[in-house]
Amino acid sequence: MGIHIVKRDACPLWKKALFYLAAVAAALVVCGILLLAMGVNPLTYYSRMFTMGMVGNKIAYKTFENYLNVFVPLALTSVALSLAFKMRFWNIGGEGQFIVGAIAASTVALKLKPPIVVALNNSEFSFSVSFGPILSELITLVLMCLAAMLAAGLYGALVAALKVKFGTNETLLTLMLNYVALYTLTFLGDKKADWNFFLQEESARPVFQSFSDTAAFPRIMLGKFGLNICVILTLIIGVLVFVYLRYTKRGYEINVVGDSAGTAHYAGMKVNRIVLRTVFLSACLIGLAAAFKMGTTGVLSTTITGDVGWTGIIVAWLAQLNTAAIFVVSALISMLHYGSVQANTMFSNVDSSFANMLQGVILFLVLTADFFIRFRIVRTKKGGNQ
Amino acid sequence: MELNKLDVISTFIYNIVLYNIPLLYGTVGEIVVEKSGSLNLGVEGIMAVGAIFGYVIGCYTNSLLVGILTAFAMGALMGLLFAALTVSLQANQNITGLTLTTFGLGVYFFVGNAIKSVGWPTMSNYSNIKNGFADLHIPLLSDIPIIGKGLFSHNILVYLGIAIAVCMWCYLKHTTPGLRLRAVGENPGSADSVGINIKRYKYLHIMLGCGIMGIGGYYMGLNMSGSFNSACWINGYGWIAVALVIFANWSPALAILGTFVFGFFNTLRVSGSSLAIAFPEALGWLAKVPTQLYQALPFIITALVLFFSSISKRKNSGLPAALGLNYFREER
Repeated sequence: MGIHIVKRDACPLWKKALFYLAAVAAALVVCGILLLAMGVNPLTYYSRMFTMGMVGNKIAYKTFENYLNVFVPLALTSVALSLAFKMRFWNIGGEGQFIVGAIAASTVALKLKPPIVVALNNSEFSFSVSFGPILSELITLVLMCLAAMLAAGLYGALVAALKVKFGTNETLLTLMLNYVALYTLTFLGDKKADWNFFLQEESARPVFQSFSDTAAFPRIMLGKFGLNICVILTLIIGVLVFVYLRYTKRGYEINVVGDSAGTAHYAGMKVNRIVLRTVFLSACLIGLAAAFKMGTTGVLSTTITGDVGWTGIIVAWLAQLNTAAIFVVSALISMLHYGSVQANTMFSNVDSSFANMLQGVILFLVLTADFFIRFRIVRTKKGGNQ
Repeated sequence: MELNKLDVISTFIYNIVLYNIPLLYGTVGEIVVEKSGSLNLGVEGIMAVGAIFGYVIGCYTNSLLVGILTAFAMGALMGLLFAALTVSLQANQNITGLTLTTFGLGVYFFVGNAIKSVGWPTMSNYSNIKNGFADLHIPLLSDIPIIGKGLFSHNILVYLGIAIAVCMWCYLKHTTPGLRLRAVGENPGSADSVGINIKRYKYLHIMLGCGIMGIGGYYMGLNMSGSFNSACWINGYGWIAVALVIFANWSPALAILGTFVFGFFNTLRVSGSSLAIAFPEALGWLAKVPTQLYQALPFIITALVLFFSSISKRKNSGLPAALGLNYFREER
């Protein structure tokens, strides 16, 4: 008797879901055992982590606001990456594109100072004066988003252009460009000079300059809880991408190129143009995620990405590149990351890196589950007959 | 004064070797893995796991050899995980590798902090580790002026790293299993049809390569005197190793050269100012170069290498043709 691996034709959705749930549950158990070994009750830890310490917390609304600020860049970056991955274009340059976008957004925010409002006691001018800052705020934010999208988009499209023109390996090239961007950012954060407007002028030590209030995204106040407008925008973009992929010609082209570039070519599609366009769009959205983050934190930092470029890849893959699933998975993964930081205050010997480990185990087990969804194992008798 | 200047150069060469040999371990390990057709982006995480377990267990047993073997074994175990997922379970290599990095760094901090909470082993308290990692002077060669101290007066792991690189070069180039391994990485379908056991070759070499990376991680831990804080010991060296593989054109022998080239820039970042002080006229400008440029250089150079090699479509490129593609026999 031997075993033999055969591809499955299709797996019903409920079965798929069951496999994935089992994988996540198994990951929680495996890491729970590790917690037990450290003398920590896994149930208390997990409940603390998944509630992010909000239960019985008087400023829980603040915690939830912060959680959403973690969620937005991750969800948007993952959606963006899934566009490129659908074409089997391995954009692992999310970190670099995010950084380039963040630098561009900061440039706009710091260079576009709010207009000087001349206070006139003349009643005729009172209307225009009060209207001025609101308009400039809108313009600043839109320009920040556009600049970030353009910069990040070009950074990504550069690799796509080399890939379609010369066949340059995009996995490795985007990886290298991540570090070029990162060290450019650390350079800007470290170099005191007259030209370097990213840093505070007053401070002797290099410190990033904070933006003025006009470069902050508005929040919709629901009682004490302030819903950042970025959350709504991200959800809208998610719906748009979903529609784009499923119901438009361009979305269809992306799917065909992903299945087989050869087929797409014979069907008369301009594969190179599709790849270029989609990678540009993918990187643009990452730039937008960076602009959202910049307009929320209001100051640049060398750890501005929060590793979304890396985590986004894992999220996109866990969600099987399905746009709706990406939102669910990134909500969960953000919970893992933000929750483990919160839980660390209660369990000081469990480092917040526990989330990274758990995330790794979840992915390994989901990949395993994936195998059983795609393939089935058949026992064969000796002689080769089934 | 003249003597002092020679000292600065000598120390500079010494530091190039001392601080950058972990790159060689990472690179040679990754070359072995990639030659089997697997692109493993988990080098950073694998080195971290090898480092933390190698260091802690090495200290507890007060034996450098146990430390090295543990680091190798833990690296190989991470390799086993990678191989099981990508070779047997057909998982995507990029995703698995990247997750291995996240996971490995998670394990590093999780284990490190757990041990720190019960008492961190300090390297200087373990005589065998401390003395084992001390410099060994090679007689005669280490007496050569200027380069003697720089090249021939190092700890045992430096010599081990060079030896592994040379062995792997011979293995890949001049032995039958090495030839077969390259065939697996180039065209697994053809290799399979002439009777090479693809799975066994992939498993063994992924584990071997990852084990070598693990030792590199252990080296980094020892070189930091085992002081555990919020920054990981590996500090991005794993990613530089991935870049260096391309720079070295998938040859372990060129990897030695590449390590010194990348190491040269890496060390300029640290010692550039002392060179500038010793030679104010000739090298005074070094003090003005931003350190981030040195840090970014390996990646810039590699990006350029990738770009130019794709333009020229070199015939002698060492890039394994089937790199990154999973082999599924039914689809041959």
